[in-house]
Amino acid sequence: MTLFPYLVALWLFLIGLYGIVTSRNYIHLIGCLSVVQSSTYLLLLAIGYRAGAGAPIFYTHPPGTPAVDPVVQALVLTDIVVGASVTALLLTLAIQVERHRGTLDPQALRPLRN
Amino acid sequence: MTLVPLPVALPLLVAALLLVFERPLEGQAVDAIAAATTAVCVLLAVRAAPQPLVYWFGGWQPHHGVAIGIAFTVDLAGASVAALSALLFTASFVFAWKYFDEVGARFHVLMLIFLAGISGFCLTGDLFNLFVFFELMSVAAFALTGYRLEASALEGALNFTVMNSLGSFLMLGGTALLYGRTGALNFAQIGRALAHGPDDALVAMAFVLLFSALFIKAAVVPFHFWLEDAHAVAPSPVCAIFSGIMVPLALFGAARLYWTMFAPMASVAAAAGNFLEPLGLATCLLGGIACLMQRHLKRLLAFSTIAHIGVMLAALALVSGPGLSAMLLYLCGQGLIKAALFLGAGILLAQCQGIDEIQLRGRGGGLPATGLLFAVGGLLLAGLPLGPMDSGWRLLETAAERGHHGLLPYGLAVGSALTGAAVLRATGRIFLGWGPDPGEEQQAPSAREQEKADRPVLLMLIPIAVLLVLAVLAGGDFADTIAARAAAAMADRPAYARLVLDGAGWAAAPAAVPEAGPLLAWMMVAGAAAVAGFELFRGHLPGVFVHAVDRLLTPLALAVERLHNGVIGDYAAWMLFGLTLFGGAFLFR
Repeated sequence: MTLFPYLVALWLFLIGLYGIVTSRNYIHLIGCLSVVQSSTYLLLLAIGYRAGAGAPIFYTHPPGTPAVDPVVQALVLTDIVVGASVTALLLTLAIQVERHRGTLDPQALRPLRN
Repeated sequence: MTLVPLPVALPLLVAALLLVFERPLEGQAVDAIAAATTAVCVLLAVRAAPQPLVYWFGGWQPHHGVAIGIAFTVDLAGASVAALSALLFTASFVFAWKYFDEVGARFHVLMLIFLAGISGFCLTGDLFNLFVFFELMSVAAFALTGYRLEASALEGALNFTVMNSLGSFLMLGGTALLYGRTGALNFAQIGRALAHGPDDALVAMAFVLLFSALFIKAAVVPFHFWLEDAHAVAPSPVCAIFSGIMVPLALFGAARLYWTMFAPMASVAAAAGNFLEPLGLATCLLGGIACLMQRHLKRLLAFSTIAHIGVMLAALALVSGPGLSAMLLYLCGQGLIKAALFLGAGILLAQCQGIDEIQLRGRGGGLPATGLLFAVGGLLLAGLPLGPMDSGWRLLETAAERGHHGLLPYGLAVGSALTGAAVLRATGRIFLGWGPDPGEEQQAPSAREQEKADRPVLLMLIPIAVLLVLAVLAGGDFADTIAARAAAAMADRPAYARLVLDGAGWAAAPAAVPEAGPLLAWMMVAGAAAVAGFELFRGHLPGVFVHAVDRLLTPLALAVERLHNGVIGDYAAWMLFGLTLFGGAFLFR
């Protein structure tokens, strides 16, 4: 077990969040959100990884052969599906914002205040 | 037993059918589905009262304490909260009759998916399953906020979506860490493994991630910024669901996670006392102060939700049986009242074509019934000693005393009374025309808002009246007994683990907890009335006094306003700040 993938996951989380905090364009911001999300993929896969083990498919080799954890892979797949739909929804909203307000800058697009 | 998956399966199935057949099923049929879901949940609650029901999907029973399949574990608390949410959906469907003519069945489809997500969240016994239902209700909520595709709705929906997506990533991260430690996703199995493992930084990290995710959804300070933006723009029947159940439900989820998994961890209990307790108080006070400053009625109610979330978080953070039972009672009362008030705001939007308190001054005169309901809602929020919310308060007092936080309820009472004051002030101004004449320059700065008119007022009033009647009458000893039972079953981790993993029996004996007297409640009502009176009749009060109060409060008001600036980047930065603070609570204890 190595610490490296966990550090990369942390880095992806922080750099994506940095992008969201400083973003001046919603499309860029949505991209950054995907970067944050990819940190969770990496974290999950790193947790399920077994050094030297194969894919969790027991078609050719018998059950009991060392394999990486299929559960986390299923979780990642679910997460990807959810992420794709949320990203699509966000992009739709961004397109509509552009159409109505003519800008995508979050600083200029504050929701109406008191 | 076969009833267990129905609260999720029924709405999902009907939503799918609605999508296929668009027209024929609309209207009353959907109301009937929501009502049927309510009935199923009530039935489940009755069945789960003596012993929680465990339902393994596909019959994948656990072997030797290892869960292979996914379980729904229906306990009294979960089924009751699911019943409450289905009831709120029914009310909101009746209210929204003819509201969404132009969007066809899509509103109903999204709402039913939302309901399925919420029911699943209440009933599931599996961490990843919880995440999936969390996502399901989030995505439905995002779409419901922004579906009107109007300029103002879009930005609120964007902020809501981005912040809550960040939340779900945190939740998945926490789930991953717990899976890495325990190799399990079932609450009971994780709890058992954690109890036998070390109480180290990994557990702390998982706890911080999971709870921060739920706190984003629950709008706990400083994760709360998305809430007012989303509530201000979402349609009123949707707002009623958001504030009534979706937001508090996150804290219910937090309670579930704590009591099934983290309860044996000394470090977590310490962090709850040292960090979550003050955080609840801060949330309550900030919510109360910001609530009083609002003139946009929905935004006002949104901040009142934040204040009440603070109360519930404080009750949860007492990490005791009475605290949990107080939280459950409070959750029910708050949900009923808040949903009723948001639907009331919907009547104003439909009948008076406005939502701005100043602009609406005196214009609600023709709606005496709505005004009466608003007044009752305001008084209940202020703490009128009636109904489940009040039972929650009094139990909270007892629980706080036992947990050596005797002063906590008084702090919470301030924030809570402020929300009552704000609603009472708005009621007086809108329905009775009290308060100074605003003049021209005071006209609403926000865009004109309205909701579809020409709907029968009576059909909008009935669900509100039903919710408020429940909020007044559903208290007393009966509710206390149920809540004590529910809390006792929810908080018994070893028994829960034996039931789920080993199929063992159940013998729960809830201890009766004496409630505190109604003194604090009356103090809150008096305080709320005084503050509302001050705001409405400041012109008649001595100028020196009014001036002094203004001098004191204006900087505070400015600071709060500057904080809630609507910029998503700032919200994300606050989230990171909150996350760091939360983690820090484990380092310095």
